[in-house]
Amino acid sequence: MNYEFNWFYVQKSLPDLFDGLLVTLQLTLWANAIGLVFGFLVALGMMSKIKLITWPLTIYIEFFRCTPALIQLVWFFFCVPIIFNVWWSGYFMGILALGLNLAAFNAEAYRAAIQAIPHSHSDASVALGLNAFQRIIHVILPQALILALPVLITNGIGIFQQSALVALISVEDLMYQGRYISTQTFRPIETLTTVALIYFAVSFPVSQAVSYIERRTKRLLAN
Amino acid sequence: MAFVEINGLVKRYGALSIFEGFDLKMEATDRLVLIGPSGCGKSTLLRCMMGLEDIAGGQISLGGKEYIEGAEAGKMRIDAKIQKDVGMVFQHYTLFPHLSVLGNLCLAPTRSRGMKKAIARDKAMELLQRFGLADRADFYPSQLSGGQKQRVAIARALMLDPKLMLFDEVTSALDPELVNEVENTMQDLANAGMPMMIVTHDMHFARNIATKVVFQERGKVIEAAAPDELFGNPQQERTRDFLRNVLHING
Amino acid sequence: MELDFSFLLSYSGVLLQGLSTTLQFVGLAALLGLIWGFVLSLGRTSENHVIYWASTLYVEFFRGTPVLVQLFWVFFCLPLFLGIDLSGFASAVIALSLYSGAIISESFRAALKSIESSQFDACTALGLPRGVQTIFVVLPQAVLRAIPNLLSNVVSLFKESALVSAVGMADLMYVGQNIANNVARPIEILTVVALIYFAIGFPLTRAVSVVEARLLKVVKA
Repeated sequence: MNYEFNWFYVQKSLPDLFDGLLVTLQLTLWANAIGLVFGFLVALGMMSKIKLITWPLTIYIEFFRCTPALIQLVWFFFCVPIIFNVWWSGYFMGILALGLNLAAFNAEAYRAAIQAIPHSHSDASVALGLNAFQRIIHVILPQALILALPVLITNGIGIFQQSALVALISVEDLMYQGRYISTQTFRPIETLTTVALIYFAVSFPVSQAVSYIERRTKRLLAN
Repeated sequence: MAFVEINGLVKRYGALSIFEGFDLKMEATDRLVLIGPSGCGKSTLLRCMMGLEDIAGGQISLGGKEYIEGAEAGKMRIDAKIQKDVGMVFQHYTLFPHLSVLGNLCLAPTRSRGMKKAIARDKAMELLQRFGLADRADFYPSQLSGGQKQRVAIARALMLDPKLMLFDEVTSALDPELVNEVENTMQDLANAGMPMMIVTHDMHFARNIATKVVFQERGKVIEAAAPDELFGNPQQERTRDFLRNVLHING
Repeated sequence: MELDFSFLLSYSGVLLQGLSTTLQFVGLAALLGLIWGFVLSLGRTSENHVIYWASTLYVEFFRGTPVLVQLFWVFFCLPLFLGIDLSGFASAVIALSLYSGAIISESFRAALKSIESSQFDACTALGLPRGVQTIFVVLPQAVLRAIPNLLSNVVSLFKESALVSAVGMADLMYVGQNIANNVARPIEILTVVALIYFAIGFPLTRAVSVVEARLLKVVKA
C-alpha cells in the first residue's frame, strides 16, 4: 500500500456533506413517521377476520418484505408519475417508498408483539369487565408498543441506512454528496470513508440504545 | 472408610451460602435418598459430587479415594479418573437433541473412552433391550415421550459403567402417568446392586427404593435413618413437620 | 395509460441472464459470507480481548453503514488502497461477502449462546473432553439452530444484491433498468423485474418460518 492520504478536499466539502446528512435525516424521520403510524394500522387490519381486508394487506406486506428496496424505489420514481399523472420530486418519492417499505416491516413487528401478549391478559380483562375497545386501548396496545419497541427502532435505523438508495435517483442526500465530491476531487478513499463514518456515528449509538431498551423492557414485562 | 464420604463441604453462590461444613457417608450397599424442602441444597449436593459446581472447601471421596477437593477462589481440584466412575441423570433429560438414541448412548464411550464403535453399539443395544427401548434405538429425542427420554438418559449414563449413580429429581418434569416406568427402571437397577444417591419429591418411591433416607434442611442433615424408621417414627420435630406437610399434600 | 406486456417476451433472454448474474452474486457471497461469518462469530465469543474487540468493531461497522457505501468503497477505494486491479465482479462479490459475513456472524453467535447450560452439565457428567464437546455436541446444535436465521440472512443478501447494479454489474436490476430506459416502458418492465425478485424472495422467506418450526421441534428435546 503506497497510497498518500489527502484530507484537504474532504475538509473543504464538509459543509456539503453536512447538508447531505440533513437530507438523509429528514428522509429517515418522515419515513419513520409513515412506518410507525401506517404500520400499526396495517397490523390492526391484519387482525381482522374479513379476508377482503387481510388479503390485500398480506400481499402488500409480503411484496415489500420480499423484494429489494432499490426496485421499490425505482418503481415509485418511474412508474407513479405515469400511473397517477403527477410529478412529485425524487425526495418525496423517496419518503413514500421508504415509508411504505418500513411500514410493511413494522406491521410484522406490531403483529408479533400483539401475539406475544399472554392470552391470560384477555381473560383477565374479561374478568375485570373491560369491553373489547377498552381492552385493546388499555391492555393490548401499551404492551404491544413496549414489546415491539426494540424491533421498531431497529427497523427505523435500518431505513436510515437504506435511505442511501435515494442517491441513485439523484436526491442529494449524504450518499449522493459523498459520491459527487469523490468524483469531483478524485479522492474516493477519504471521502467515502468519511461518509461511512458519518453513517456509522449516527446508527451505532442507536443500535446500542436498542439493546439497552431490550433489556429494560424484558425486565418491565417479566412481571 | 465409607464408600462415599463428604467431609466439610463448603458451597456458596456469591454471598449466599448453601453448605458450611457439610458431612455425609454412604456405604456401597446403600441407596441413599435425599429429601427436604426446596432450596435446601439437595440438587446442589449431587452437582457438587459430579464436579459441576465449584466448591470453596471440603473433600469428596469415592471408594476410599478423594477426588474433589474444594479451595477458595475457584481453585478446586478434581481427579478426572475417579470422577469418571460417577454417573448422573438430570431432571430435564439433557439428551443431545441432534443425536439419535443410539448416538446419545455411544458418543461418550467411543469419543472419550476409546471403545470400538461396534462394541459400543452392541452394549447400547443390550441396555436398550433391557429397558424395553430397543425399538427406539434410531429415534431422536424429540420423538420420545418424557419417560422414554429419561430412561434413555439412564442408559446413557450406564454405558460408562459407573460405580455410583446420581439421580437429580429425574421424575419431577414427567407427567404423572410416566413416572412409574422411570421408577421401575431405577428399581431394576437397585435390584442389580447399583449404589445410588437419589433426590426426589416422591415419598412413596423414596420409601420403597431407599436403604437410607436423609432429611436435609438449610444445608444441614437433620435426620438420617432407614426408610421405615424415618417415615414411620421420625425423631426430629422438623422432620415430622416436613413429612406431615408433604404427605398431607400427596394424600 | 395502456399497458403492454407483450414486448417483454423478446427481452426474456436478457432478463434471464440478469437473473443468473444476480444468483451468481448471491451464491458466491453467501458461501464466502458463511465461512467468514463463522470465523467472526468465534472471534466474538473469544476470551482474547484484542480478537473480541476487533471482530466486534468489524461487525458493528458493517451493520451500521449502508451497504451502498460499502459497495462503493470496495469498488472505488479498495483497488487504490491495495494498489491492485480488481474486476468489477470481484469487487462486488467482495463487498457483498464482507457485508453478509457481518450479519451471518450474528446468527452463529446467537445460536452458540442459545445452547442450554444443562447440555454442558451432561457433557461433564459423561466425562467428555473439551474437544469432543465442541465438535460433537456444541457445533452441530449451533449449526442446526442457526439455520433459520442463516436463511433469512441469505434472503437479505439476495435483496441487497440489487445494489451491484449501481456499480454497473449487469444483474437483474441493471438489466431491467436498462430495458426500461431503452423502450420507455418502465411500468411493465420494472413491475416484471419486481415480480421476479418476489418469486424468489417470497418462497425463501416462507421457507424460513417452515424450517424454523421444524427445527425447533428437533432441538427442543
